[in-house]
Amino acid sequence: MAPQFLLAAALACSPTAPDTAARPATPDSLITRSTGLEPLDKKPWYRPRHIVLQTGGGIGMVAAGVGYSLGKDKNELDILLGYVPTKYAGSSLSIVTAKYTYSPFVLPLGERWQIRPLTVGGYLSYTHGTVNDEEKGQYAKGYYWFSTDTRVGPVLGSRLAYRRRTPAGQPRNVAFYYELSSNDLYILSYVQNRKALSVGDILTLSLGLKADF
Amino acid sequence: MNSWYSCGCVLALTSLVSCSLVEYSPNQTHLPATERGLTTQTLAHLQQMPRAAAGDTVRFVFVGDTQRFYDETEQFVASVNRQRAIDFVFVGGDISDFGLLREFRWVHQRLQQLRVPYLTVVGNHDLVGNGRAIYQSIYGPLNYSFRYGGTKFICLDTNGREYGFGAQVPDVPWLRQQLQDTAGSQRTVVLSHVPPTDEDFDPALVPPYTATLRGCSRLVFHLSGHVHRYTAGQPFHDGVTYLTTYSLAKHRYHIISLWGQRQFRLETVTYGPEA
Repeated sequence: MAPQFLLAAALACSPTAPDTAARPATPDSLITRSTGLEPLDKKPWYRPRHIVLQTGGGIGMVAAGVGYSLGKDKNELDILLGYVPTKYAGSSLSIVTAKYTYSPFVLPLGERWQIRPLTVGGYLSYTHGTVNDEEKGQYAKGYYWFSTDTRVGPVLGSRLAYRRRTPAGQPRNVAFYYELSSNDLYILSYVQNRKALSVGDILTLSLGLKADF
Repeated sequence: MNSWYSCGCVLALTSLVSCSLVEYSPNQTHLPATERGLTTQTLAHLQQMPRAAAGDTVRFVFVGDTQRFYDETEQFVASVNRQRAIDFVFVGGDISDFGLLREFRWVHQRLQQLRVPYLTVVGNHDLVGNGRAIYQSIYGPLNYSFRYGGTKFICLDTNGREYGFGAQVPDVPWLRQQLQDTAGSQRTVVLSHVPPTDEDFDPALVPPYTATLRGCSRLVFHLSGHVHRYTAGQPFHDGVTYLTTYSLAKHRYHIISLWGQRQFRLETVTYGPEA
């Protein structure tokens, strides 16, 4: 992103129009075609880059949210809001999740497809609406040493993306992903019971879609 | 179309494993139909079984908290399966540690390897998070009773702290009614997780609870877990015996035999690597 931007800025900045760099328009796409680089797609930093829809992974029957791409799109931070209906959980659960992933390899698969074979990361989730929601003063400090509503865990997965572009030539990929994950309490249970439990016992699977916008 | 092929393979694989792996929340209650309502299933099964011991004797294994002791639970099952003349196994609550569905299933997968049926009463850790709904789904009611071999067993939720106290749990009127209904039995046993001597028992309900038990002349004793060790005595100096048993971590369990009016024998079994 940075080199393209510098190139665009250097070419777009003329002595007579010092503010054109802030309003990239047609010249950028011209540059792109001539250099073969990705088109400049400057948006405010706070604007999310993609929307996410996921099922499973312990963060909702359905979880939806938005995400940011950082560091050449290899790092992503997704914020999701998940929901589990009473029928499946005894009470209706709302789950807020922050998930950070790193996908170091991007492999092209023909012209229209792209694979990210490895995604590693972690998540932190907070569940609201459990049956026994730990009223203030219900327990002495440290009575239960663990949190009943905050979970952390690792994530490992892969992603398959379909490469789309806007009419202006900007990339708008749509990706399908799966992730295997676990959480602090499952991992602790496994570590203390290596004979009885296997890694498979503590894994959960999530399936999801990510679409750039 | 190599890419389509590999993509199809990934999708097929994922859908194959997804059924058991896709978890909406660790607090979820959703279970396969065969793992729901185990208490009712077990009691029906128990009524069909001939009694293991001779005469009017009922002989059962009593053990406490299985919470997060899966290695030990496997050793426990192996040990109990080598015992003879056991009618059933009773787990005195805290089946799970974090009140999560997978924990209940991990314990059940091991306890269902027992050659005899097993029954449970709910513990305080089983009521954490959505544990109450999970326990009700996998086992059934929090308060229940059954008759077996001339004995009435009354199992009830005494985990008052999990409800913020408030004089609701244990349900003393229900207990009184159960103690009065003596049809078809000659003696009574009460089982709960938290004993009334513990600070997690609702202090406002200790006097009515112990008075209700005192009023039952057929009561053999009151059995609990929670404290993870063996204790026995009459702490309220009223002729009512209160016993507590080991947790799975202690590699010990009790075998209790009941006969006659209020006769009983308590045996302690040590198992596992240190036995």
